[in-house]
Amino acid sequence: MKTPFTRGRAAALAFALGVAFLAMPAIGATDVTDIGSLDQGALAALPSFQAANKQLNDYGNGLRGQYIRRAQHASQAEQARLGNEFQQKMADKQRQLFGPLFQKAQIAIASVASSKNLSVVVDKRIVVFGGQDITPSVRQLLTGIGDPVPPSSTPPPSKVGYVDQSAIDQTPRVKAAAEEFGKFKNDQDKIFQDKLKNAKSAADRDAVLKDYRKTLDDKQNATLKPVVDQTRNAMSDVAKSKGLILVVDKGNIVFGGTDITKDVVDKLK
Amino acid sequence: MRAAAIALALLATAGCAHGQGSPGPAASGSGAVGYVRMDELVQKHPLYDQLARYERSIEAFDLSSTAPQVAKTDPQLAQREAELQRELRDAADRTNKLLNEKQRQYQQEESAAIAAAMAGAGRTGPSAAQIAGNVNATAAQQQSGVAAQAQRDLDAYRKTLQRQDQAQIAAAQKALTDRADRTYRAKVDELQAKESALSLKLASDDAAQRLALRTKLSSLALDDAVREETQKQLSALDRKEADALAAQRNRDQQTLLTLNAQLHEQVQHDLNAQVASIQSRSIGSLSQRRQSLTQQIRSVPAPAPVVRTQIVNGRPQQQIDANLPPALRARIEQLHNDYQKRFQNDAKTTIAQFKKTRDDLSRRYNELHGIDAGSQAGAAAQIAALRKKHDDLYDQMVAQIDREVKLIAQQRGISVVLTNVVASPPAGGVDLTPDALKDIESLHE
Repeated sequence: MKTPFTRGRAAALAFALGVAFLAMPAIGATDVTDIGSLDQGALAALPSFQAANKQLNDYGNGLRGQYIRRAQHASQAEQARLGNEFQQKMADKQRQLFGPLFQKAQIAIASVASSKNLSVVVDKRIVVFGGQDITPSVRQLLTGIGDPVPPSSTPPPSKVGYVDQSAIDQTPRVKAAAEEFGKFKNDQDKIFQDKLKNAKSAADRDAVLKDYRKTLDDKQNATLKPVVDQTRNAMSDVAKSKGLILVVDKGNIVFGGTDITKDVVDKLK
Repeated sequence: MRAAAIALALLATAGCAHGQGSPGPAASGSGAVGYVRMDELVQKHPLYDQLARYERSIEAFDLSSTAPQVAKTDPQLAQREAELQRELRDAADRTNKLLNEKQRQYQQEESAAIAAAMAGAGRTGPSAAQIAGNVNATAAQQQSGVAAQAQRDLDAYRKTLQRQDQAQIAAAQKALTDRADRTYRAKVDELQAKESALSLKLASDDAAQRLALRTKLSSLALDDAVREETQKQLSALDRKEADALAAQRNRDQQTLLTLNAQLHEQVQHDLNAQVASIQSRSIGSLSQRRQSLTQQIRSVPAPAPVVRTQIVNGRPQQQIDANLPPALRARIEQLHNDYQKRFQNDAKTTIAQFKKTRDDLSRRYNELHGIDAGSQAGAAAQIAALRKKHDDLYDQMVAQIDREVKLIAQQRGISVVLTNVVASPPAGGVDLTPDALKDIESLHE
């Protein structure tokens, strides 16, 4: 049995530990890495981007009207051709309007990253905590007088790697597995749509949907999971060999980082 | 889309490339960079059930399920409408044909009558009574043929109407039931969202106290009595939240029971009204059609007048021979005019009735399509509302997870934590997922 003294000391110790435990954040937060983040949505809200967006919308509305009129009496094949032509023109216009803006933004991001010694800048949406948010600095450069000046040096090697998943999706094994699953899903969609039509009550519908999900999950585990595991292992091996600490998708990289796509694709072949 | 499936699968399952979800090098703090597998944390969040319900509902809509017949126009509807229109067109064509036949017959009889009248005026032609007799016999024959055809048309029309009524009633019933179902589900979602919000609020309100208690409990130096007391306090906190939530759930359950009864009653009431309306219109249409056909039968030529058709300047003209006795000429002229008038009226009326009936049925089908379109718009709005609720809830959950992860990162001296990581080698970043999982799970123990 503990004495009051012991209890008192223990309580004091526990309190001290608790306080120290809770006080640690302030100490931890001062540790800064070379990882930066950028809120791309904030850049899209800049007046120059908004104006370009409006121009693109106006252009799209006018062009859409023209194409709808042309497509009204056209054959199906002609309609498809017109649809592609429309998409192409929109893409060209988008490049024309946003290309210079993106280029300017990239220079501003590189400039800020360089001045802060960052090796990589990621999309802010994947940052749960910490890192250096460079959004205000980049905004300032983009809205200030004159164009931002590109940095004189390239970004330092980063411990954060990235892969272009669309390239990995095109590797034969991944592609075949994805196609097999896609075909299976399309077939199942039709089957379960019919089952749903015949469902008499909400409970019936729920049962059908449960069955639908299970069917897809089972197939996913059988076809996709093995290739996903293979890909994951390949990425991990490459990351280890290059001394990286983690790997993210290319879509989440704004600047810098180490591209390991080719190595992963080669490993998967 | 398939590529997206792979990418998603990679993100979902390859949040950590090493150890299959096992903790990383726990306190190594390699590079002071950590990461979490957000999908896994979201799935362990106390509100995940609610999020999954939204996902299932959206999936159900995506599979055009919750209102399959309503969200998607019944393909048989257009087919049935086309069938009906075709039948009506055929009936109209038959009527026109009959009227043309009558006209030809009449002209033949008329020519015969003129010849007979001319002969009677000379030597051996048939008497006026004989001419009238011949005309009447032909008219009776025509009338009999028209009556039989009219009856067949009427029977076919009645059957078509019955089929259309059944289809309309079934569609209306489906639309009403689906509408009620959506209303009920929307209420369920609304109440569940409120319950989730309450649950989240209770957890947030008590988060500081809970953390302090848990921190206290994690101390090895705590004596048994204090530990027991602290544990009691933590249990009391959990009980308080659970009781508040249970009370809210009971109230919501009662609300749903009442709503269900109201909706059931409303569906029955609306369906009765729709059925009455559909049947009333059908009876009206059938009655109109019957009248139209009766009129058609009655208007089969009366004893025909005697008029001669002559071609004058290339055009047929009907002229009564000036040499006939004045009384006979007057009679022939009167009969001819009467017949022409009745014939033209008859034709016009019959065609107009057909057109009216056809338009009436088209209108009814348009109304039915209207119900359909309304339901479709309702379904789309429901999907949008569900997506918004889903996204709002997801953001709330992620915000709460972020707070927990931030605390853990700070406690472990990690300066950056990322999510959506597709791979991390064994000596890589610090996996904070296991620690975060413990905290998330303990939110609603």
